[in-house]
Amino acid sequence: MINLRNVSKTYINRVKVLKGVDLSVKPGEFVSIVGQSGAGKTTLVRLLIGEERADEGQVMVGDWDITRISRREVPYLRRQIGVIFQDFKLLPKKTLEENVSFALQVSGGSPQKIKKVVPSVLKIVGLDDKKKRYPNEVSGGEQQRAAIARALVHQPKILLADEPTGNLDAINANEIIDLLLRINKFGTTVILVTHNKEIVNRLGKRVVTMEQGRIISDQEHGKYLL
Amino acid sequence: MLSLYRIIKFSFQDIARNAWLSIVTVTILLLALFSINTLVTVRLISDSAIGAVKEKINISLFLKPETPESEIMALKAKLASSDKVRDVVYISRQNALEDFRKKYENNQEVLAALKELGRNPLSPSLTIIPKNFDESSLLINELRVLDNPIIESRDFSDNTVILNKINSITKRVNEVGLFIIAIFILTSLLVVYNSIRVAIYTHRQEIEIMRLVGASNAFIYMPYLVSALVYSLVSILIVIAVFYPLLSLLQPYLEVFFTGYSVNILSYFVDNFFAVFGVQFLIILLVNCLASLFAVRRYAKV
Repeated sequence: MINLRNVSKTYINRVKVLKGVDLSVKPGEFVSIVGQSGAGKTTLVRLLIGEERADEGQVMVGDWDITRISRREVPYLRRQIGVIFQDFKLLPKKTLEENVSFALQVSGGSPQKIKKVVPSVLKIVGLDDKKKRYPNEVSGGEQQRAAIARALVHQPKILLADEPTGNLDAINANEIIDLLLRINKFGTTVILVTHNKEIVNRLGKRVVTMEQGRIISDQEHGKYLL
Repeated sequence: MLSLYRIIKFSFQDIARNAWLSIVTVTILLLALFSINTLVTVRLISDSAIGAVKEKINISLFLKPETPESEIMALKAKLASSDKVRDVVYISRQNALEDFRKKYENNQEVLAALKELGRNPLSPSLTIIPKNFDESSLLINELRVLDNPIIESRDFSDNTVILNKINSITKRVNEVGLFIIAIFILTSLLVVYNSIRVAIYTHRQEIEIMRLVGASNAFIYMPYLVSALVYSLVSILIVIAVFYPLLSLLQPYLEVFFTGYSVNILSYFVDNFFAVFGVQFLIILLVNCLASLFAVRRYAKV
């Protein structure tokens, strides 16, 4: 599903954030990428969604060679990959339902499709009774669930979660992780970028540990090493 | 079709959310368009003035009444062979009399006086039309020294000085006008660029999410191009709505000023509506779209 071969990335200020990274993720896997701040985790996510280009090596997502992807192809790639972030990235002047349908509207989804898909993803994340509320009227956990619902509207094969529990308390964080596990059970590959030790240890899934732009450990049923 | 509807909807949301900025943009475009149309009007008036003055250039040689036709024709041929002359028109005594009667057909006193004379008092004449009006003074100098016994008198009403004055004023107005237009177009470009930049800044979160969820680049930048189209359309419509009443107000004054000449700038703008306002709309649209594209490429990163 995802293959990175000898990937390196240096920013303009000559900071080398990724150094010869090799990583392979199979379809349906749940992989946690852990590491301290500056380890290169977020850069890895940005490479996978075509936001950044690798300087060296090859990044493959499904059949897409991201290292050679054209600007015109990027939107199509992003419809294959759902992404959620620590800060939720919801539009404050739109209701949760409107935030979710916005993703389909801007990518050319028909009104029929919007009418069908939006309620079903809101139901999956357990927000069907709060769909008319605005982001500031719900909890952080519910905002993140709305962001997950939005990421699911294109029925992506991969879900990238970049520090999704960073702004949440322990209860809400666990709820989000449970939701990600449920989505993974449906067959979606989940990549969880986090530095939350408790969550990673509770999952008992594959753990890739990064340090200073390198993968220093890759365990099938791993623990948080750092 | 659906995407187009959404693009237009997003564009109108942009315009409404940044209402003040939209008003400033349209105002600057209006100033640019107004200066262009003022220049066109000034040009039309000066062209009419030049035409009127040129019509008054009269270079005529009056000949002795008893001159045989053959001698007149010989002189006509000699004059016509000059490289400064476009045409020579022979007006016989009879034709001159007919023209005179026609000219004074409403003046019974003049006609009665003519009748009382009992004979044709007018002389045959040769009217010389110069090839180039700017060189008419040279032609007049040649005709002044032309020695021919059949010439009775000469009439040179030389208007080249006035023509040169009008030409130089028109040239100056054009230069200043073009400079003003250039400034306004440049200002429009910068204002539209900044309007779109602010609109993008206002929508940066929305644009970020659009990109994140896989909106096509066209979907992200098209609303701004639609906004540019709306700004251009609104500006040109306002200019049309303001300019026509102004021309209607100006027209009676011009008619009085150019009495006896056909000067109608209102009908010029009506007859050339699409050529004048269509071209202006296309130019202003092109300027707006270019500014929008530069701003979107730079700030929305699409």
